[in-house]
Order: sequence, then structure tokens, then C-alpha cells
Amino acid sequence: MELRLSQRILTGIGLLLLILWSIGPIYWAIATSFTPTPDLMSQPIHFFPEHLTLNHYQRLAGFGTVASNDVTVAAQFRNALVNSVITALAATIVSIFLASLGGYAFARLEFPGRQTIFFIVIATIAIPGYTVLIPLYRLMVSLKLLDTYLGVTLIYLSAFLPLALWLMRSVFQQLPLSIEEAARIDGAGRMTILFRIVMPLAAPGLVAASIITFLGAWGQYMVPLIFSPTKTKPLTVLIPEFSTKNFVDYGLINAAGTIAMIVPILIVIFLNRYLVSGLTAGSVK
Amino acid sequence: MNVLLRTTVALAALTMALPAFADDAKPLAGQSITVLLPSGQSPSLAADFEKETGIKVDLQMLSWDDIRPKLITGLIAGTPPADVTEFDWSWTGQFAAAGWYEDLTPLIDAETVKDIAGSSIFTVDGKLLGVPYSNDFRVMLINRKHFTDAGITDTPKTLDALVAAAKTIKDKGIATYPIGLPLSTSEGTSTSWYLLTKAFGGELFDKDFKPLFTTPDSAGYKALEFEIMALKDGLVDPASTGLKDSQINESMFAQGQTSIMISGEPGRIAQFADPAKSKVAGQIEAILVATESGNTRSYGLLEALGIPAASEHKEAALAFIKWMTSKDYQIKNYGVGVLPTRTSALEQLNNDGKLLSGAVLVEQAPTVGALFPQGTPTWYPQFSSAVSNAINQAVKGEVTVAQAVQSIADETVKAQQQ
Amino acid sequence: MSLAAAAVPARRKGDKGIDGSADARLGLMLAAPIVIAMLSLVLFPVASTLWDSLHRVNPMMAGQPFIGLQHYRDLLVDPVVNESWRNTVVYVVICVVLETAGGIAAALLINQAGRWRRYVLAIVILPWALPGVVNAVVWGWIYNPAFGLLNGLLVAAGLDFEKFVWFNDRTIALFAVSLVHVWRMLPLTAVIVLAALQSIPSDLYEAGRIDGATRRRMFFYITLPLIRGGIAVAMTQSTVAAFNFFDEAWILTGSARGTRPILVQVYLEAFQNLHFSYGMALSVLVMIASLTVSLVYVLRVQRVTRLD
Repeated sequence: MELRLSQRILTGIGLLLLILWSIGPIYWAIATSFTPTPDLMSQPIHFFPEHLTLNHYQRLAGFGTVASNDVTVAAQFRNALVNSVITALAATIVSIFLASLGGYAFARLEFPGRQTIFFIVIATIAIPGYTVLIPLYRLMVSLKLLDTYLGVTLIYLSAFLPLALWLMRSVFQQLPLSIEEAARIDGAGRMTILFRIVMPLAAPGLVAASIITFLGAWGQYMVPLIFSPTKTKPLTVLIPEFSTKNFVDYGLINAAGTIAMIVPILIVIFLNRYLVSGLTAGSVK
Repeated sequence: MNVLLRTTVALAALTMALPAFADDAKPLAGQSITVLLPSGQSPSLAADFEKETGIKVDLQMLSWDDIRPKLITGLIAGTPPADVTEFDWSWTGQFAAAGWYEDLTPLIDAETVKDIAGSSIFTVDGKLLGVPYSNDFRVMLINRKHFTDAGITDTPKTLDALVAAAKTIKDKGIATYPIGLPLSTSEGTSTSWYLLTKAFGGELFDKDFKPLFTTPDSAGYKALEFEIMALKDGLVDPASTGLKDSQINESMFAQGQTSIMISGEPGRIAQFADPAKSKVAGQIEAILVATESGNTRSYGLLEALGIPAASEHKEAALAFIKWMTSKDYQIKNYGVGVLPTRTSALEQLNNDGKLLSGAVLVEQAPTVGALFPQGTPTWYPQFSSAVSNAINQAVKGEVTVAQAVQSIADETVKAQQQ
Repeated sequence: MSLAAAAVPARRKGDKGIDGSADARLGLMLAAPIVIAMLSLVLFPVASTLWDSLHRVNPMMAGQPFIGLQHYRDLLVDPVVNESWRNTVVYVVICVVLETAGGIAAALLINQAGRWRRYVLAIVILPWALPGVVNAVVWGWIYNPAFGLLNGLLVAAGLDFEKFVWFNDRTIALFAVSLVHVWRMLPLTAVIVLAALQSIPSDLYEAGRIDGATRRRMFFYITLPLIRGGIAVAMTQSTVAAFNFFDEAWILTGSARGTRPILVQVYLEAFQNLHFSYGMALSVLVMIASLTVSLVYVLRVQRVTRLD
């Protein structure tokens, strides 16, 4: 459809506003992370940092001119980064594995209680975290899974599986049944069909569900705060620690926050194609 | 119950023997404990302790706001959140009623309890539930340069003198809003009002926890009127109704925009003296809390270390508490900004000239009382929240002073009945 | 449209295939891990909390007597709880309206972006990809009266926002806090609606044009009816997220009553005041409320999508 010039200008302005709205706050966080601490509290504020500093990042990385207690900041930060990656990856792999198998079952296989089970699983999305916090904590303690990757992964699984399952089921439902039927007539078993034929076709949906799960797990706060206090502590729990009772280190918080953004940003930029095609699975002929 | 009692007695016997062995034998070496503290501790804390005792410490640090949900989750679930945990003064009533923490009375020697005056705040029905390790009480902080520039040489001892000084500073254009006072719905607003109530010579409750702040001649009532006057007269920045105490400290006082912090925290003095974090290095000093009568008063908001009753490593946990609250370690720990709780440690630091504003802190320390001499109530959180919400409404003119204090009293009564 | 279809039961009931009983076995086998995980990690804890909510569980009081629905009765008349409900309703309305309207507008714009579509979409998705806590801290810094970006921009534009406090007035504060949540959640709506837009066959528009319909008419008679399903799913997501609103309000305004959402009230009752089972009873009500509202959307999606 051709647009008139005036409409194109309006669309252009709208897009510009949309982009400003989306990246404005991110820009500000990044700008803050490069501003020396004394400059942060200056008036009037500067929209572009007057002086740039890498000090906050150096302190996170653990080199440059640093005070003695920054050695632990760097070590903590590295561990937290690794923990964030491990727990988010583990949660994604397990969730997507179960969700794709289950999604196929709920989409294609007729079994007793199919609708009811599906509805109950999806309904759990509405349960607030606090409702299950204490019983879940007791469970994790009795299983000795507190502060372990397995424990956190299991909790993430219970939180993100429903949405992933919902997505995967709909992806399978969108696939044409005729291909599967043809394969069956050729004598292929269900599992062969699932892994050889259906999964490759559902790849975009798999990627989309993976990304949504990964980003969800990456941003978790309350769960790791309670369930992974030390050894498996992720970035999101570490970042607020930079504000002690007596001093809020905005530069350090924004620098750590910026790094916490980098992984999601990379994902969005490089996997955007899959994300979009996955979410628009129905429309891609 | 019997088992618990027996272990306590055995523990007492064991720990009395402990100091004798401590240096050479390291009787608990090889054990390991978990310790849950707010962030900002000395980075070598765990290593130092292990070197001394051979006990391994798994140190869990969380931001201050995150400590409580973490603790409560574990305690309600019936498992120890750690073997040694942070124990804030404001939790004393609740934790005592819940019976969550080990009674340390038989385990801590009388001399320590005497040296750490703040111990009384953590003692409920004769049971010592936590040993204070971080001292915090209220002083007033002033920007001496602002005072000198305004030609004020005397240090204000009364609230009237303080207000007069603030007005002079404002009139001379040195600071637009000379008084720093949080008025938002946050804990800092409540603690400031408590201090002003003390400064007006009163208490919050009588011994039966009947509110003492509802009549116009009461100290709490006058304290709220004082806050409104300071705001109306332009002594306090109107933005304060949306700011927490930490924001006022950092974005106003540390920038040289404010001359007097009514509810000053000794723990921040070091930060204000650090040119990297403050624009007023060398200008800030503590003064005794100015009061209506001129006789200074203050109250303590200490943090202690306690052992959850469900802990399975109580001996090692106790060793940690003793070590962290020892005079030597407290003196060392002042290096990361933790003010000692031991009078002896404070005095020594002051004598060595290492304590910033030392003379004032040492003079203020003996005037520090408990905010609730009758014991911190179990409904403290509701009370504190009611206070900050009511003050915030009153200073914004949404309710009158009488309505505000009445609503605090009503909320308190309600919380008491629950 | 994938997400809209998710709410619809499998279109064809008769896709049993050749061997029904083998399929049933396989289906149960594949669903079993999910059922076990959800039973042990979600439904069992929920049942435990439900049970607790019928008892007086207060660590500061001895015993845990059965009290039936007492907590639920008390919650209905608790003024502080009711104030939090009011705030949450306001949040839900503001968030759902802004996210839906903004999300649709964003999706329509992105759909028109031509070859730039990919890049614009990447940028628009970013806020959603950020951890909620980081988001709230960053916005807290933006709203800072003295050194924040927002007042800085407004002052630079010549407006009198010097040291303006955004959380002072209750109405403004509710909006300011909601905005942070909207900023993070809007992309999800945009993506879902965009997906729905792209699934509309282009020959429908061709036909519309031949009939001489204006763009405006085509939007209301072709586009809107066909993306209704997607919008309903997006609204379900927004609603559940807004009911579970916590991080942003807690970090930005703490426990202030004027902006306290219901989940912060749950936290305060259970973890601050230690009225544990009272707080849990409230959390059960939150669950029921957000389920009920979501169900309305889902049923609506079913009806809407059945029409076509």
C-alpha cells in the first residue's frame, strides 16, 4: 500500500518518538555509568556527560586504580555474571525441552484430561510469587536444593514452563497436519515424526519461546534473592547491594545495570529475526 | 524444650572454656558456619576470622532492604537462614515473641554486656537475643563552613538557637533551604520525628504503651508542629516530602546545599569527609542533639548479631559473634565505617585521634537511650509506617497536626489488638 | 496468529491419527514431566498456602488454630487492604489501557516501517528485555527531583519543573509509577499485536480498496476485528502482570500508602507485620482476582476467534 507523503511524514515522526521513548531511559543509564561520581550530583544536569570515566567499569572488572575492597566487587561481579548465564540457560533448556514435548502432546495427541491439564497449567501464570514462596522454600530446604543450580532451575521451570508450553502448543497447532499425515502413511512413528519433521518446522517458535524464557529468567529478582543467596547469586541480586545503608553508588549500579543489559541487547539484536518470525509463526506462509 | 536447654547449658560450659583455648588450640577449627549480613562489610571479614579460629565462614551479603525478606522466609519455614544473622533493633519485639533466636545471656560475659551499653535494647525478659556490633544513634550534623560564613560562632544547644541559626544562614543566602529533614513516607521520616520528640523532652509511649503524643502540649505533637513550621518558613526544601533520608544526605547535604541534618547519622561522617563522594569534605561536623531545654538526648538504632535457635552450629556461631564484637575487631572495623558499640573501643579510637567528630560522639554516647525503654513492641513496623504516612500527609497540608497524631494513635491501637 | 490460537482448543477434534491408544499413552508420557513439575512446585505449595490461610499462623503467637474463613472476612473490611486494592485497580487500568493503546500504535507504526522494520522492532523490544529491578533503579534516577533526566528535560524546555517531586501528589505518583511498568511491558503487547497484524491476508485490503474503502474504514472494518484475538491475549498478559505489580512500586515509593499495590500489602502483612497467614489469605485473593479477570479475556478470545 502506498502512503501519501503527509502520512509518511507522520509515520516517520511516530517512529522517531517510539524509538526515543524506548531507548531514552537506556541511554540515560549508560550515560550515568560513564559519569564520574561527583558530576552525578551537579545542577543543571548535563544531557551528555561532561567528563567521561571508565572508573565504574574498572571497579567492576577489578583493575585500574581501585580501593582495597573493590577486589571483592570484581570477584562477586564475575561470579554473578556467570551465575546469571548458567541459571538462565539451564532454565531455558529444561523449560523448552519439556514445553516442546508437552506442547506437541497437547496440540496433536488425544489423551484423557488433555484440556483440563492444559488449562490448569496455563492458569498457574496468575499465581503471585508470594503465594508459593514459603512452602517452596520448605520444599527446597528438605530436598537440600537451596543455593544450588538445580534448585533455582526447578523454580524457574515452574515459573516459565506455562508460557513456553502455551507458545509451543500454538506453534504446533499452526503447522499443517498434512506433512505429518504423509509421514505416517510412509510408516514413520510418532517420535520420528516429532524430531525429524515437526521440530525443524517449529524452529522459529522454539527460538522465540527460548528467548522469552531466557529473558524472563535473566531478569528474576525475588526468586534468586531467597533461593540462591551466595554461591549461585545472579546479577540482579548483586546490583542492589551496591547501595549500602549509608551510600548509594549510582555510578556503580548503572554500570552493573548496563552490563546486565548487554546480554539481553545482544540477544535482541542477533536473534531478532527468530524472535519476530517465531512470534509471527502463523503469518509466515 | 529440655534438649534445647541442655544444649544451651553445655554450650555455656564449653564457651566459658573457649577463651583459654582460643589462641593455640583452635577447638572449633574445621567447622563451617554461614553468616548473613548487610553489604558493606570488610572484604576480609571471613578470611580474618578463619585465620584466627580455623572456622570457615560462608558470608552472605545482601542489600539492607533484602535482608529481612530473606531472614523471615527462613525463620517462618523453620530453618535457620544462617548460623549468625543481622538483628536490627527494630526487630527485637517480633523476634522475641516468635522465639526465633537463641538466648545469649549465659554465653556472653557480664563485662561485655556492660561495655556494650546498647545490649539492653536487645534484651527481652532477661534474655539477650543479639550482641550489638554496629553502633548507630542520632547526633546532629552541621556544615561548619555555612555557620562560619553566616557569622555564627556558637554551636546551637537548643532548638530555638538551631532555628535562629538556620534563619540567619537562609537570610544571608548561604543556603536556600538550610535544614535537611526527610518528610516522605519512609523510615527516615519516622526516625527523625522520634528524635524531635525526644528533643522536645518527651517519650512516644508510657510504660503500658499508651500513646503520649496526641495532646497539643505533648512532645510528639510539638515535634510535628516543628517540622511543619520548618517547611512553611522555607527552612526545609519542599522536595523533602518526596525524598528519603539517604537522598537528602547525598543530594543536598553532601552537595553543600543544606547546613543542618536534624537526624544525623554518625556512620555518614566518614563519607562526608571523603572528597570522592562529597563536595563538603572538611566542612562537616557532628554536634550534640539540640533540644528544647538544652539538655541533649538521643536514642540508639543499633544493629546486632544473633543466632537463630534452629542453627546447628551454635558454638562456632558464638565464636564468630564474640570475635566480631571484640574490642580489637571493632576498632579495626571502624575502617569500613562501622561505629564501635563498645564504650572502650569508642574511647580508644577517640584517644588515638582516629574518631571523626570524636569528642561529640563520645559525649553523646552516654545520653543514648532506647527508643522503647519498655521493650521494642511487636507492632513496631505498623507503628513506624503509620508515623511516616501521617507526617507526610500533615506536611503536605492534607490533614491537620491533630488529625495526624490521632491517626497514628488509632493505627497503633489497631495494631496492638491484632 | 500463534498466541491467539493458544487460547483456542485444538481446531479439529478428529485429529486422533491412526492409533488412538498409542497416542494417548505417548501423550500422557510427554505431559507427565510437566504435570509432575507443576504439581510439586506450584500446586502443592498453593494448596499448602490455602490450608495455612484457614489457620491463624502467626509466629508471634503460640499454636495455629483453625479459623476457617475469618481472615477472608477480616480482609474485606480492612481499610488499608481496601486502599491497596484501589491502587491496584488503578494500576491495572492505567497499565492495561496504556500498554494496549501504546502497543497497538507501536505495532501499526512498526508495520509501516518498511525495510527499517527489523531494526525498529529490535529497539522497541529492548525495554522488555531488561531486568525489572534495573529498570526501576534506572527510572528512580530519572525521576530524581534534583539530578534526574525528566526534570532536566522539562526545565530545558522552559517549564517550571525545577526540583519537581514526582511522587508527592498521589494521582501523579500513581501515573509515574505505572509509567515505569508500562515502559517495560508495552513491547510485549506491541509484538503480539504486530504478529496478529502480519497474519492478516493482504488480499482483504485489496478487496477493500477495490470497494473504495478509506484507510480509516479499512482499519475499523478489517484490521481491528482481525487483531482482536491478539489484543485480548496481550491484555491478559498485561492484566496478570499489573496485578503482580511489585518491583517498580517498592523500589520507587516503598511502603507509601497512596501508591501501595496489593502485592506490597501482602509482603508487608506477611513479612513485615508477621501476620503470616493473613498475608497469605490476601495473596490467595490476588490470585483469584487476576485469574477471574484473565478468564474473562480468554473466554472472549475464544468467542472472537470462533467467529472467523
